[in-house]
Amino acid sequence: MTLQQVIFIILAIAVIGSALFVVTTSNLFRGALMLIVAFFGVAGFYVLLDNGLFAVAQVMIYIGAISILIIFSVMLTRGMQAMIPRNAQAGSVAIAAALLFLILLLAFGPFRLVVDLSGVPILSALFRTESARVLGGVPWQFANREVPETYIADFGRALVDLNQFLLPFLLVAFLVDAVLAGAIYIARQRKPAEVIAEREAIAKEEAEELAALQPQPNAPTLPQGAIASTADH
Amino acid sequence: MGLQNAINGIPLEWYLIVAAALFSIGLYGVLARKNAVAMLMGVELMLNSVNLNLLAFWRYLAPESAAGLAFAAFVFVVAAAETAVGLALIIAVYRSLKSVDPETLTQLKL
Amino acid sequence: MDAITNLLKIISDFVAELIRSVLGFSPLLAELVTMGIAAVVLITFAALSFMGLTYVERKVVARIQDRLGPNQAGPFGLLQPLADGIKMFTKEDTTPATADRWVYNAAPLVIAVFALATYAVIPFAPGVVGTNLNVGVFYVLAIGSGSIVAILMAGWGSNNKYALLGAFRTVAQLIGYEVPMLLNVLTVVLVTGSMSLIDIINHQTLADGNPGIPHILMLPLPALVFLISGIAETGRSPFDLLEAESEIVAGFHTEYSGMKFALFFLGEYVNALAVSFVFSTLFLGGYAGPILPPYVWILLKAALVFFVFMWLRGTLPRVRIDQMHALNWKFLVPMSTVNLVLVMLVLKLFPTSESAAQAFGGLLVTPWVQTIILAAVNLGVLFTALTLAARAARRFRQAEEEMIMRRRAANLAAAKA
Repeated sequence: MTLQQVIFIILAIAVIGSALFVVTTSNLFRGALMLIVAFFGVAGFYVLLDNGLFAVAQVMIYIGAISILIIFSVMLTRGMQAMIPRNAQAGSVAIAAALLFLILLLAFGPFRLVVDLSGVPILSALFRTESARVLGGVPWQFANREVPETYIADFGRALVDLNQFLLPFLLVAFLVDAVLAGAIYIARQRKPAEVIAEREAIAKEEAEELAALQPQPNAPTLPQGAIASTADH
Repeated sequence: MGLQNAINGIPLEWYLIVAAALFSIGLYGVLARKNAVAMLMGVELMLNSVNLNLLAFWRYLAPESAAGLAFAAFVFVVAAAETAVGLALIIAVYRSLKSVDPETLTQLKL
Repeated sequence: MDAITNLLKIISDFVAELIRSVLGFSPLLAELVTMGIAAVVLITFAALSFMGLTYVERKVVARIQDRLGPNQAGPFGLLQPLADGIKMFTKEDTTPATADRWVYNAAPLVIAVFALATYAVIPFAPGVVGTNLNVGVFYVLAIGSGSIVAILMAGWGSNNKYALLGAFRTVAQLIGYEVPMLLNVLTVVLVTGSMSLIDIINHQTLADGNPGIPHILMLPLPALVFLISGIAETGRSPFDLLEAESEIVAGFHTEYSGMKFALFFLGEYVNALAVSFVFSTLFLGGYAGPILPPYVWILLKAALVFFVFMWLRGTLPRVRIDQMHALNWKFLVPMSTVNLVLVMLVLKLFPTSESAAQAFGGLLVTPWVQTIILAAVNLGVLFTALTLAARAARRFRQAEEEMIMRRRAANLAAAKA
């Protein structure tokens, strides 16, 4: 048991345990804190994968920014912490998720299930190749290479190279620009007159809706069925 | 167990299993919760599992190419942007409708 | 003579050899034990310097304010930190009844852990560094942003609306001032070509054929903005509206007393000292210096930067929260962005190495000429930004005065009628 294997197992237990807590708890603040533990665990995985840059980026982006956003929105929408966190379809979703995990485990896991289809009449005609008779276990072409020393500089250069990743880089920058503009628009400082006008517009809308539901005082009395149908809208 | 292709004693399949588990747990979190913010937490778990998968493949199959790193970096950025916009929407909806239960948001239904 | 210069390295080598051979541990276990001892040494150093710093700060700020400072506990008040420690230990350790116990108790620990984690990458001497990460400076920034979560935990766990509001305001300030810090650290990394702190120090010394120019001469504007952002990030005066007595009770640590409050206090001072160390590494040349041993140099430089912090605390009044946010987003961030772009341009147009000149076709200059051009560009950006800000402030003040005059005239007219 090498040191890295021990660290991997500890991190895996931490990540999966905290993820399970996040999706089953009704106390959303504790769920957000456990999400942070999961993010730290994934950052540890990135360190094991010899990728220090992405480990630190994970801490900065996910824990330093996204988690704070999530905690803020948990605090600002406080009134809605239900007693039972599951909705009506939770049972079937759990079965589906478990099934998905088993399929992924079979497909990419370390197991190989060799099925002999030579006798079966139709299937043996459909699946002719060797690999089709083996379920699971992809034969990866491993590299057994070391990560180059200058991988950060190479990555940076690839992002601005016309032949490599310049276009996706610019598109993603455009996306972030759009998000920034949207955030500034939502959080803009409204003049007092604007705020009052907004509130008046909302109040007027609500009054109209309320008036539409009330029966008019000098209108002829409608039969019961008609009133019930207007109330359904 | 494929240990002959392990780096530091950890075969690639271990990372894939952890990523698959995280993805399934995140899927459950998205589909089985009543609170929109909790659903977003599930989405974050799924995005993290995707990144873990990408970087594991990058390390084991092609460590000198920058494609895996670039893809993972784009996932980072898009996740951050999507979380910001999603949470802003949730807070705006909460302000006018006082509810974050996605099942009560039926204004667009015919 | 050589022994004094390399004292730290000799001690660490000796200890490592001791563990490996005398105690007969396997190499893996020996490495783990060595790392553990190094961690304990760093934490002890940080904690001891915290004690000394509280005393020095009170004395210096008192002298600036024309009074004596603590002089009762021991000769010249030197045992004051001890007295403070005894006071903290004996204070009643309360917990609000309806607080979330785990979150409430964990918050000071998390802050202390994150504050101390920064010391793992600071080089105290050539070869004496916790770990030489090739993303060292990025790690420091990430740890800084990670400690923000602990403040939210403290605010929420206290189950106190005022603590929560204080935590919101604190987090808004900390997140805001990360942006100029990041942009200016990026400028330094651009000039150096590496994120590793040891490479940044080597770029400022004469090692490996480097010109040996401290970055503060090349990049005065990033140094200034990093200093300001560092003060704001650690919540010191003049940005200390978060914990001042006249603000929302005491901010996010309202409900904390005794040892837990001492941990918050420790976190703040340790953070400030870490920012001083990082500033001296990035801009002043770290442990490089002519005569004295390297560990003395870095301590002197960090002490100088911390003295500037204390000087600003004793001199400047507190800023309001809207002034603080306006300063950050309307002044520091645009200025830092423009500066980054201009530094990029200068590095491409006036390169110092043959290969860079051939690749882009710039004008080959010596390092000192490039330094002078960079400094001139930086100071130009600074003065342009200051002029624009002054003009905007004057216009704002004139508009305000005009509104006051108009309102006064209207009141007079209404009173006459």
